[in-house]
Amino acid sequence: MFLAYRLPREPSTPRITLWRKLRRLGAVQVSDNLVALPLDARTREQLEWLAAEVVDAGGEASIWLAEAATAAHERELASRMAESIVAEYQTLLSSVGDAVDLSEGQRRRAIARLRRELRSIRSRDFFPPPEADEARRALEDLAAAMEVAP
Amino acid sequence: MRWATRAGCHVDRAACAWLIRRFVDEQAEFVFVDDPVDVPADATPFDMRGAELGHHVGDCSFETMLKHFGLDDPVLWDVARIVHEADLGDDRFDAPEALGLDVITRGLSMVRGDDDVLAVTGVVFDGLYEHRRRALLLGRDPA
Repeated sequence: MFLAYRLPREPSTPRITLWRKLRRLGAVQVSDNLVALPLDARTREQLEWLAAEVVDAGGEASIWLAEAATAAHERELASRMAESIVAEYQTLLSSVGDAVDLSEGQRRRAIARLRRELRSIRSRDFFPPPEADEARRALEDLAAAMEVAP
Repeated sequence: MRWATRAGCHVDRAACAWLIRRFVDEQAEFVFVDDPVDVPADATPFDMRGAELGHHVGDCSFETMLKHFGLDDPVLWDVARIVHEADLGDDRFDAPEALGLDVITRGLSMVRGDDDVLAVTGVVFDGLYEHRRRALLLGRDPA
């Protein structure tokens, strides 16, 4: 699914807001003013609301259910989505590693925050890589270690 | 009155339909369409792209409706906090209830048609409203 959009150059706030929301959905940029997202009922609805926001901000937006003419292009797009998700899991994994050295209270708060972060990453992970399980397990191990600690 | 919304009811639409029935139009009849151009001329569209009663500047449709109809009941706004996070999950509010509500309505729409989903979620929102009403009165979550 593609969102083609055009936003006025100024003000820049709608552009920044749009990008933040697109990133949270897991969209990747295909070229200038064109972003792609795997299609399901939820992503379609979310993208439609973003299109409406672009129009509200004085821009133009349209949504296309697209099919790549070659499998190679489709794979390339999917692997770009997967790569950015892997990077997010790796950041989370290193935060889990850092949390081991924290005091008990700090660690408890870190676990709550990292669980929220993991949930957010999973919501935009359309092609779960091995790092997804690894991150989940590392975080649960960290939490389990708290339970048994004296 | 007739009200139209997109087929495949999820949390924001279900919450809006409940709000309409309970607080705006007891006799409301709902029509479900796939495309905004299919909205019947005599029906008021909601939670659809292009509708006045839709998402606006970061608000979900439920919040837009509360503002539009001038509903300032604090309990409804507390329900709105949960609906907003269940629908958008943008961390504007702290709403741990949202995850559960999201899963429940998503699951319901997998096993039932829109009319059934609205019937069931109507009761769910009645319960949620009562829970939040008591919580606001008590100043803590009721047992």
